[in-house]
Amino acid sequence: MIRLKDLDRLLIISTLMLVVVGVVMVYSTSYIVAMKRFGDEYFFVKKHLTYAFVGLGLFIAAVKVPYDFYRKMAYPILILSAILLIFIFIPGLGFTAGGARRWVRLGPIAFQPSEPAKLAVIFFLAYSLAAKQERIKSFAVGFLPNIIIPGIMILLIMSEPDLGTAICVASIVFIMNFSAGVRLRYLFGMLLAAVPFIWLVIMNFSYMMNRILIFLDPWKDPSGRGFQMVQSFLAFGSGGISGVGLGEGKQKLFFLPEAHTDFILSVIGEELGLIGVGVVIFFYVLFLYCGTKIAFRAKTLHGTYLALGLTFMVVLQAAINMAVVMGLLPPKGLPLPFVSYGGTSLVINMIAVGIILNIYIRGNEA
Amino acid sequence: MKPKKKKPESSLKVRVTVVLGFFLVFFSAIFFRAFQLQVLDRDSLQHLAMKQHRKTINIQSKRGDIYDRNLKELAVSIEVDSVFAQSGKVENPREVSKALAPVLGMNMFELEKKLKTGTFVWLKRQVDLNEEQRKLVTSFEGVGIVKESRRFYPNRQLASNIIGFTGLDSNGLEGVERHYDNILKGSSVKIVGDKDAMGRMLLFEDLDKKVPVQSMVVELTIDKNIQYITEKALKKAVEDANAKGGTAIVMDPVTGEILAMASQPTFDPNDVKKFDASQWKNKSITDAFEPGSIFKLFLISAALEEGIVKIKDSIFCENGNYRVSDRVFHDHIGYGWLTVPLIMKYSSNIGSAKIGEKLGKAQLYRYVKAFGFGTKTGVDLPGEATGSFMHYSKWSNVTLHTVSFGQGVSATGVQLVTAMSAIANGGFIVKPYVVKSIKDSSGKVISESNPTIVRRIISEDTARKVTDMLIEVTKQGGTGTKAAIEGFDVAGKTGTAQKPDFKHGGYASGAYMASFMGYVPAKNPRLAILVSIDEPRGEYYGGLVSAPAFKEIAQESLSYLGVFPEKQDGMPKVQYIKNTIQPEPVNELEEAEVASPDPLRPMAIPDFTGKTVRAVLRMARERSFEVAVVGSGRAVSQKPAPGSSIPEKGPVVVTFQ
Repeated sequence: MIRLKDLDRLLIISTLMLVVVGVVMVYSTSYIVAMKRFGDEYFFVKKHLTYAFVGLGLFIAAVKVPYDFYRKMAYPILILSAILLIFIFIPGLGFTAGGARRWVRLGPIAFQPSEPAKLAVIFFLAYSLAAKQERIKSFAVGFLPNIIIPGIMILLIMSEPDLGTAICVASIVFIMNFSAGVRLRYLFGMLLAAVPFIWLVIMNFSYMMNRILIFLDPWKDPSGRGFQMVQSFLAFGSGGISGVGLGEGKQKLFFLPEAHTDFILSVIGEELGLIGVGVVIFFYVLFLYCGTKIAFRAKTLHGTYLALGLTFMVVLQAAINMAVVMGLLPPKGLPLPFVSYGGTSLVINMIAVGIILNIYIRGNEA
Repeated sequence: MKPKKKKPESSLKVRVTVVLGFFLVFFSAIFFRAFQLQVLDRDSLQHLAMKQHRKTINIQSKRGDIYDRNLKELAVSIEVDSVFAQSGKVENPREVSKALAPVLGMNMFELEKKLKTGTFVWLKRQVDLNEEQRKLVTSFEGVGIVKESRRFYPNRQLASNIIGFTGLDSNGLEGVERHYDNILKGSSVKIVGDKDAMGRMLLFEDLDKKVPVQSMVVELTIDKNIQYITEKALKKAVEDANAKGGTAIVMDPVTGEILAMASQPTFDPNDVKKFDASQWKNKSITDAFEPGSIFKLFLISAALEEGIVKIKDSIFCENGNYRVSDRVFHDHIGYGWLTVPLIMKYSSNIGSAKIGEKLGKAQLYRYVKAFGFGTKTGVDLPGEATGSFMHYSKWSNVTLHTVSFGQGVSATGVQLVTAMSAIANGGFIVKPYVVKSIKDSSGKVISESNPTIVRRIISEDTARKVTDMLIEVTKQGGTGTKAAIEGFDVAGKTGTAQKPDFKHGGYASGAYMASFMGYVPAKNPRLAILVSIDEPRGEYYGGLVSAPAFKEIAQESLSYLGVFPEKQDGMPKVQYIKNTIQPEPVNELEEAEVASPDPLRPMAIPDFTGKTVRAVLRMARERSFEVAVVGSGRAVSQKPAPGSSIPEKGPVVVTFQ
């Protein structure tokens, strides 16, 4: 049995192990492409390491900041985050990469506002659910604000369009409301009400429809629309139990699009095999276990909800990403937390771990 | 507001446990899915992945060069660029085609269309691009360059009918290029490599071990200078006669090496498509024709060898009209009594027909067959024709007469020269050949062609007597005076044959094949030459149309070879011990029987050391034993040793270096 005082260490270990796996795999996946495109095999891994160190700095800062700060600042952070999301639509500030306007440039920094938006929604919910705990079963106080305010944020994210993150945030909102004790009939009633809406969205975004068709049968068109999924399957299949060896994978050689970002688990599957995939899954489960334990040990209900929300954010995204690359869910465009190449996601997730640790430290104080 | 003290909420624990349970199921599903992909479906997925990664490419060595006997380049390979596109990867076909059209010398719209079709498409093969153009071409995504080797024939049409040419994929399509394609191609290695989704090779396996690919070099027996002389003379003869075409062959009658072979009209192998396919043919080998009077020399050789006629015998030539069955044979001048040499000299059809009568169908057939007619010579070039020559059992009375002066039988140029060479070299049918040696790129000899004696057909004595007659042909009063060369004895025979009319049967009126065939110097022959002019207009006699070309080729080639007039007979007088051709059952072709040494006059094997192949062959011929030639250059060893008696069976093996 894991001792309680080891929770912090286990959380840090699982986080760091995933980050290290990420750095190694980003290098292994990208060196040939980087060599071809930029003449520098370290091109991507250098950038990735830079983000990792920035993330580490912000992680340490987050450990130091008393988490009560996020309760007090819940609204300002939410409003700031909403403004950043709106910036995306302002020409000159927002820009497009990969077919979607997901980026904002402020001075020298370019980032995806949907990533901090996730944090903002969790901060708000942790505050709001804790504050309204007494009347959580009521519709107007316990349910409506905790659905409508995050709902606005989700709509903003969806309109970028970044459907993957939107679904991810919506799931977190659902799980947090569920955990906090919001009436089940409200929650499931809302789900039922959302069905026609989701249907409309799918029908209106042809790329959504495509993705679902591909998901249903990627082998129907393996060289066209099903290409990415089929290539991912081939990567997993080539790996077998023990993998072809680090750096030996072939699928990343332009076959597997976005191998170093969203489909990095496919490369892990190919190069490190089922064992590698199993180890990655294990670290997320360990992360989930530690995060939940820390949540229950928090001094305040706010701390509990905050730790739960942040833990679920990381683990849920990991689960969705893994399910997508193995064809269990339609493609979404979500990175694998701590592992995938991508600065904003890595930094935000590191901050989340820092906050959880602060909750742990506060919980240990007498 | 102060944070509320947390109350232990049992409902929170329950609900979070539900969430945890959900996650556990989720992760289990993921792990099971990974297990399914990586263990259960592994084999089929791995197989599919292999198929798309593995790419086997053939690395072909540069096609080997072809040289003449003096190592002058006849065909070489140069590396050129071929531009391809992978249309799926080309982002903006219109822009790319706009930029590349002028560089590749192509129509913009045509280029754009190509860029939009297929996954892999050649845009332009074998173009010359400079460094800058190469950079421009490769700057576009999906467009690339590979090096291909292109054949270049520096002498243009010279010897093109022998050398042949290659296709776009560097495969030999005609001539030596085709016959020796496997060798010229060199070795190729299959390299299995990984390719990326763009089809580019990324990593090679065992590249170092496999890569040294050899290209083979082929040296021909052809002499570029003699070839030039021959083509020039042939072209002139064809033009002067206003003829349809013509062929000429120059062969070393002792060794069988072909020194030159020309066809008119010819073609430039650098630009094959501009010429009609019929011009690609090496007609000396592929086309058989009725030889006409040339054939008389084989008849008379046979008759002399068989002792049917003697030199001094006279035959009545019926004053130019001779009826056999329902046919009347003519001579263009009526002759009375002619000796055998004069029948040859004046080319009397009636005299020949009468000698044929005396020889008989079976013997004539046997000799004609033994001279090589109706059988391929085995020359190392593609497309050799057999010619037609009916079995004597199907001959009518008239056929015996017509065959005697070369009608009703067809032969290729190379068959005729080979047959005549047997008279020039003292009785041996040698196998004609055009490739002298094959070497690898480091100069190591891989294989070498050596002169091959196929069989002996007439005795040295008969050969000399026929040679004497043939010398008379080019002398005052003969039919081939225009072939005579100042200072040399020229042995030769004219031939003028009406061409068969394939549409109506019989012979076409006014369509002739005018030939002259001979060898010089007559008593020590270096060159055996045949010139045939196809359908000359105006003058059509071989002695008038072809003999001057023969003379030009012979005279210039001899002077090029450094053979100067020497009137005396350089060859030692040779006594043959016994006739080597046996009156054996007819219609059976046998390898030459080597004379067994007469026990009364035991003959010793001379010392060959330091002698050339030619000299050794000549010595062997004089002493009538078989020689196996190994290597080339000068003789260094022999087996059995000098001084020992000639072996009863098997050849004397002489090694040259």
